[in-house]
Amino acid sequence: MDAPMIDVRHVSRHYLRGGDDVHALDDVSLSIPAGKFVALMGPSGSGKSTLLNLISGIDRPSSGEVIVSGQALPDLSEDELARWRARHVGLIFQFFNLIPVLSALENVALPLLLTDLGKAERRERAETALRVVGLEDRLDHFPATMSGGEQQRVAIARAIVTDPDLIVADEPTGDLDAKNAEAILDLLRTLKKGFGKTVVMVTHDPRALRFVDDAHHLDKGLLLDDDAAERASAALHASMGPGPRTTEVEP
Amino acid sequence: MALPLSYSWRNVRARPMRSLLTTSVIALVVLACTLLMGLISSMQSTFTETGHELNLIVLRKGSDNDGSSQISLEAYQAVRYFDGIARQPEGDQPLISPELVVQPFFRTLDGGRENVLVRGVEAIALDVHDQVHISEGRMFKRSAGEAIVGRGVAGRYEGATLGEELEFGRGRWKVVGIFDADATSFESEVWVDVRELASDAKRTIPFSGARIRAASKADLETLERRIDDDPRYALDAKAETLYYEEQSSASATLYIIVIAVAVLAGVGASFGAANTMYAAVQARTAEIGTLRALGFSRGSILWAFQAEAVFLALLGFVLGAAGAAIAAEVLTSALGGVAVGAETFTTSVIHVRIHSGNLLGALILSLAIGMASGFGPAWRAARLAPIEALRKA
Repeated sequence: MDAPMIDVRHVSRHYLRGGDDVHALDDVSLSIPAGKFVALMGPSGSGKSTLLNLISGIDRPSSGEVIVSGQALPDLSEDELARWRARHVGLIFQFFNLIPVLSALENVALPLLLTDLGKAERRERAETALRVVGLEDRLDHFPATMSGGEQQRVAIARAIVTDPDLIVADEPTGDLDAKNAEAILDLLRTLKKGFGKTVVMVTHDPRALRFVDDAHHLDKGLLLDDDAAERASAALHASMGPGPRTTEVEP
Repeated sequence: MALPLSYSWRNVRARPMRSLLTTSVIALVVLACTLLMGLISSMQSTFTETGHELNLIVLRKGSDNDGSSQISLEAYQAVRYFDGIARQPEGDQPLISPELVVQPFFRTLDGGRENVLVRGVEAIALDVHDQVHISEGRMFKRSAGEAIVGRGVAGRYEGATLGEELEFGRGRWKVVGIFDADATSFESEVWVDVRELASDAKRTIPFSGARIRAASKADLETLERRIDDDPRYALDAKAETLYYEEQSSASATLYIIVIAVAVLAGVGASFGAANTMYAAVQARTAEIGTLRALGFSRGSILWAFQAEAVFLALLGFVLGAAGAAIAAEVLTSALGGVAVGAETFTTSVIHVRIHSGNLLGALILSLAIGMASGFGPAWRAARLAPIEALRKA
């Protein structure tokens, strides 16, 4: 059997907040094969975003191992980790996190500054990425002049422009209306299907279950087993109720 | 690769009011320092360029300026025939100018009173001080109660215009000419006939000193030694350039004061700019987190914020230097220059010019403000952990 794309082994993440020792993750083990679209789900404070940050190399575990594409992340120094992220990970955030003073094209081209590509090639790639997300006519627009859905598409274009192995998305539909949320989920699925990317997404949104290959549920820093996950999933579906529903609001 | 400079520049433009206020503070510091440096260097050049490299000034031993010196007719006559003195192209007269200096009060047009240096000379003075050119009117006639006035005097004092009469000493002196002197301190003087001035001032010894044009540099040194060593008259000869350098020595002290003021004002401006930059880091914490998460190094972040502070400072430099150039022009054109007291207690009118050296000094000051104000905030930005910074989103 091939090595998984993501291998999380007995990972814990503890930190101090206001003098309290917070256990954000406790002995979590998880493996995700390459080319899958996986959701990490759970209530607020369940540790799903912490797990995503560890997988994307933005944070470091207190103990345990995180291996992505065969690279043990805790072994890397701060700058090595930054370089690794630039090469291997595309990041998508809930609030898009675009740079307000840069145009859509410049925002998308930003990660390419960390590569050896020339100016013309950087522009060409950024244009291609924006075409993939359907924004080829908005190249010179600035974030403030774009809708939330458009901004998230620019952020997705930025995430894929370096052709990373792994795309991680933290609540990518959390700040969007229902229509835009579905469009973004569909786009993420296309990245997996059409481009063979591994996509890991943190979400509250039960609609996401229709788009993903697999969902892992967390609660209070623990990864739930299959039975518990099924119960959690059923509860989540029940919470949707009849009729259209927009985003889940964190308590 | 680092973040592009356009990122830093656009962030300066993205908060126009804050950037403008910060830039204005830096611009004011630059303006004040550039103008003061310009004034002092103009003052220095006004004095130092007054001296000619082949001219000697002959004074009584122990006098350090011609206002406090006296030399006898006999001494003047003896020196006049020393070897090594250059000669007039026509007339073959030795180029030695006997001069008498008095410092009467003149009334300025705005009602003030200032000491003005009145120099009694002979016609040969125009050959010895060859930077002096009569630009309007003519040279005074001997014993005719006439005067010529320097460009800095003309129009500054009552009666100091062509055709008017000056009142000083016991008589009235008709202004028949105005002279330029390449912006040297002669332009702040009034010249009259030396014997007429001695008679008016009731001076039994007619001269304060003499100026001599040496035929060559070697002759200048020989003449200087010979005059110094002559036991008959107790005279002291000194190179004119050296004499005027000593006259402007006070400006060297002023320069140190201006540098101290520039440093203090620069520190103040740095605090203001640092405050702006800290606010920028605070407001863009999530953005910094995003850039770090995307893979930009700490060095890239440090550079981007440092560049932003330097942009603010350079804008301040451009505005301040332009302001200083305009202020210098106004001081010189509209106000006729800046009057300063010379060592001889007379008034010298300085034409303030901003020299390239002054601009370089102001640029260095601005860059120092930019670097000093940007480093702390940029360091703080660079040290933010991406995970902590992203939580501020």
